[in-house]
Amino acid sequence: MDFAKIPQFSVSDFIAVTNQTLEYAYQSVQIVGEVQSFKVNQGKFVFFDLKDEESSVGCFMMLFSLRVALEDGMKVMVQATPKLTKFGKFSLTIQHIQLVGEGTIKRNFELLHGRLQKEGLFDEARKRILPSMPTRVAVISSMQSAGYKDFIKIIDERWSGLHIDVAHVQVQGAEAPNQIIKALEHINQSSIVYDVVLILRGGGSADDLSVFNDEQLVRAVAGSRFPTLTGIGHEVDTTLVDLVADRRASTPSNAAQILVPDRGAVVDIVNTKLVRVLGVMERRVDTASQKVAQDTEFMARQIIGRKQTLESQLEALRRTLRQLDPEQVLNRGYSIVRRENGLELEEVQVGDMVAIETKKNIIKSEVIDVKKR
Amino acid sequence: MSKNDKTIADKLHELDELVLWFECEDLPIEEAVKKFAEAEQLAENIQAELEKLENKIEQIKEKFN
Repeated sequence: MDFAKIPQFSVSDFIAVTNQTLEYAYQSVQIVGEVQSFKVNQGKFVFFDLKDEESSVGCFMMLFSLRVALEDGMKVMVQATPKLTKFGKFSLTIQHIQLVGEGTIKRNFELLHGRLQKEGLFDEARKRILPSMPTRVAVISSMQSAGYKDFIKIIDERWSGLHIDVAHVQVQGAEAPNQIIKALEHINQSSIVYDVVLILRGGGSADDLSVFNDEQLVRAVAGSRFPTLTGIGHEVDTTLVDLVADRRASTPSNAAQILVPDRGAVVDIVNTKLVRVLGVMERRVDTASQKVAQDTEFMARQIIGRKQTLESQLEALRRTLRQLDPEQVLNRGYSIVRRENGLELEEVQVGDMVAIETKKNIIKSEVIDVKKR
Repeated sequence: MSKNDKTIADKLHELDELVLWFECEDLPIEEAVKKFAEAEQLAENIQAELEKLENKIEQIKEKFN
């Protein structure tokens, strides 16, 4: 061997050249393996080994980049950059971790669920009530997806006059959580006051739906300024975003049914109220008519009674007048004595002439004697 | 708030208030006739809106990728 042709480096230069070679050959790699010796140092640095049946490689990342709950034994796929540290240790610097296998996805869900539940993020006391007839809502979904189209179809069938602002995002894949978070931030910072923010996505595999178990996304939904309604997957699928939302629908179509009432049902309610009011009106008119009739009858009775009273009084007056009639006095056998020329009878003297009127005659007489009674 | 600014929910609430008024005893008959006409008009408005208005869908222009 010609040693003169073999490259010679210092330790630092060798490490630098090796890293350059690695960067050129493997700018970014995806490696599948099992997590081992997972630990977090100083609350910000994540270390673990990625192993298979024969080998293992060290991994490193910052805690804030870790979007899933990891523990030893979980199968993951990492996207990473291989690197030699200045101490000569070979390591993968992780950019992204994806869970592999339903078992791992389920375990991640359980770990994160436990952690978030302890923090109270799922408490019923946090849930806000959705308005029964919203006027303006925001929807975060893929506008090309079947789930979104189903939602719009049901909304149009059920209701009118709703204003929907749509944030078009990916709803699966590595980019999805960040896009949904950005859409949520945009909506929450808007000057528009939304009645509800919806997050929609149709059915998919556990892997597809794992987007909605991303810790940062879950926390973003929990912190939403506006009430949230999720319609993710099918009836049997429940994600952490579903649990932290104010209301969960089983599917995007069900979200539409929860969000707005059915216009036919509302028209029925309106008609029922009107019929009720009409009934009250009819009874009121009947009552008023009856009262008028009763009042009229009462007044008539009053008038008749008064008339009878007056007639009685009139008859009494007539009887009195009849009794006072001089003819009645004469008929009873009395007579009326008058002086001539209308002079007072009490001043009559002997020799005066008086007229005596009886029932049948007028007798002219001379006074022959006057005595005091 | 003008009549046109009122939402369907606002109008339904107004109708509820009118219905509640009719549940009082001793309704003055002239006012009852007037309020019944109001209730009828309100019901008509609500039905017309539910049948004729459309939902408005707008995409947010911001890109999130």
